[in-house]
Amino acid sequence: MKRTASLTTRTGAPHLGERAFPRLMIAPTLLVMAVLTAYPLIFTLVYSFTDYQYLKGTDASKFIWFKNYIDLFQNGYFRQAVLNTIKFTILAVVFEMVIGLLIAVFIHSLKRGQKVMRTLILLPYLLPAVTVALSWRMMLSSNYGIVNQILETFGLPVYNWFMDTKTAFGTVLLIDVWQNVPFVFLLLYASLQSVSEAQYEAARIDGAGVVQQFFYVTLPNIKNGLALCALLRTIDTFRLFEKVNILTGGGPAGTTSTITQFLYNYGIKSLKFGFGSAGAIVMTLLVLILSSFYIKRAIK
Amino acid sequence: MKKLLALILALVMALSLVACGGGKTTEEKPAGDSGSSSSGSAEPTKMTLILRGGTYGDVIKACLPAFEAEHNVKCEVLDLSFDDLHSKIALNAPNPQGEYDLCMVDGSWMAEFTANNVLANLSEMGYSFDDDIIPATTDICMVGDDIYLAPYFGNVTVMLYNKQLIADAGYAPEDIDTFADLMDIAQKTNAAGKKGFLIRGGSGDNIVSDFIPHLLAYGGWVVDENNQPTVNTPEFKAAFENYIALYKLGDTMDKDDIVAAIDNGDAALGQGWPGWYVPTADSSANYTVIPTKLDDNDTPKNTSMYGVWTIGVCENSPNKELAVELLEYLMDPEVQLSTIDGGGVPCRYSCLLNEDVLAKYPHLETVCGALETGVYRPVIEEWAEFTNILGTEMDSVIQGVKSMDQGLADAQSALEALLA
Repeated sequence: MKRTASLTTRTGAPHLGERAFPRLMIAPTLLVMAVLTAYPLIFTLVYSFTDYQYLKGTDASKFIWFKNYIDLFQNGYFRQAVLNTIKFTILAVVFEMVIGLLIAVFIHSLKRGQKVMRTLILLPYLLPAVTVALSWRMMLSSNYGIVNQILETFGLPVYNWFMDTKTAFGTVLLIDVWQNVPFVFLLLYASLQSVSEAQYEAARIDGAGVVQQFFYVTLPNIKNGLALCALLRTIDTFRLFEKVNILTGGGPAGTTSTITQFLYNYGIKSLKFGFGSAGAIVMTLLVLILSSFYIKRAIK
Repeated sequence: MKKLLALILALVMALSLVACGGGKTTEEKPAGDSGSSSSGSAEPTKMTLILRGGTYGDVIKACLPAFEAEHNVKCEVLDLSFDDLHSKIALNAPNPQGEYDLCMVDGSWMAEFTANNVLANLSEMGYSFDDDIIPATTDICMVGDDIYLAPYFGNVTVMLYNKQLIADAGYAPEDIDTFADLMDIAQKTNAAGKKGFLIRGGSGDNIVSDFIPHLLAYGGWVVDENNQPTVNTPEFKAAFENYIALYKLGDTMDKDDIVAAIDNGDAALGQGWPGWYVPTADSSANYTVIPTKLDDNDTPKNTSMYGVWTIGVCENSPNKELAVELLEYLMDPEVQLSTIDGGGVPCRYSCLLNEDVLAKYPHLETVCGALETGVYRPVIEEWAEFTNILGTEMDSVIQGVKSMDQGLADAQSALEALLA
């Protein structure tokens, strides 16, 4: 009581020290965030208005204002990459969410063996993306890959998975979904743990079947987990790079080219960091727009 | 109490920041700065080599122990992919003192690197070419009379073939001297249920590089004398039509699949580079030179394209003189001869035409011939973007996404905008 009195003024307003203390405590975090996030973002924004080429140095670069952005939107390969990325993100997130949710519900319903299944399902997610890409490249090799050999054994048609415009996009999508379903599963499985058994019992007493329990008990209870999961997967999928770079290089005929792959080919490889920065800013804005729905929901 | 706690936390943070940020305030001067004079010091000088991964860098690594012992140096080697090698050398270039001493450079980067002072002028440091080096391979290494690079690994496009499948088609390797022969073999092999001709897919650079020999055979080129694009020409179209016709008798694959398919007899022909595969007398595949004529009535042209891996010294190398000594050591004829067993392909007559070598690796005579008449890719700073654009458009045509006219017109206009 005595201590409280010493930290407040006679009017009851917080004492200066009481106001300063929390600010002092969050200051290091703010500083770190400013250095690691705001600083690079601001510099990327500034560079995006210049013709900065890394080898020529900053001294030789000059402000060209919106030329990089105009060039970007006039570039047919960039527009194709944007469309591919949006299409890939929507399909991947939908598939990952649906499959991850179904697996989570299934594992959650198991009476025995939950721990073993949980561990096994998580394995693909633990592998680095590069390892995943190389393993799949070997398995799907049109020459010595096990997948084509199995298809041939059963008399089914074989494909040149990564070099054919009909299959390349779908194959990369399948690999990405395979690797990231466990992440969705893990988050949703954790959400399911928090759903009270009493709610299911009450639903059963009211005569609800399995499907009704899923839609009226399970889904409303894990909707926040679903929203968070969709947000994280959207942001992550939008940045897809390693798998595309290793497996297809953006080909065939640009059908798997993503924004990051485009920026790598036309901005990073040619060291045109001004142009690359403009692409990065556009990409950040697109991610923000796509994920704004989830962010708004999370803030609520 | 809270104030005291805050004060303590602030002090701890300040101390940790000082501790984390407090590196060495004085730079250690590399012992090897004075070249070979370091050989007497106790601590070996550390040198860093940045090389292309695979056979190209492996043969250099195998030669290093003798140099390390003689000069009291310890070499650290970075093996990198094509793109990573380019990026790392470039990113290191603006630093006043760089991290790398000796670097491996693809000929297509030469214009960009010399225009931006990435490489040391070797002539100024006393290096010169000897007469044993195949002259044409040095073209890309010089700016005027100044040498910036030395041709180390004789990579040049050659035709990889399966011995049995071309024999089944009624050909001996030395009989394949026209593009009509290639088509004939591909058609016969395809009719027999195998793949006739393989082309490389993936990046734009792969597609463009593998197509260039065909374009040269048809008398075309990708740029004119003013380095303006010439990809929508009758010669380009004719060459591309022939290339697509060959592709339709085979398939598109990545490098590893091409080598495996030809080696195991699933495909008859495919363009390759000597670094991909080391044939022996009893191997099922081998190399032959890319045909120089379209048919028997045509006049021969230079159709082999260089992908020579050169070595140079970084301008900001911490051990510049020592790096030049290492470069001279690696370019020594005897040292280069020793690399052949490891898959090396020196750009030297004395190595490639050595009788003992030819008895063991007869394909090197083919490679020597190709190196004498090879053509380098255009020396333009924008070559990486050029191949991205052209490769993507060519891939669209190959895959049937665009018509030939549309694809080449789009490529031409995009390249004109790039080089404007």
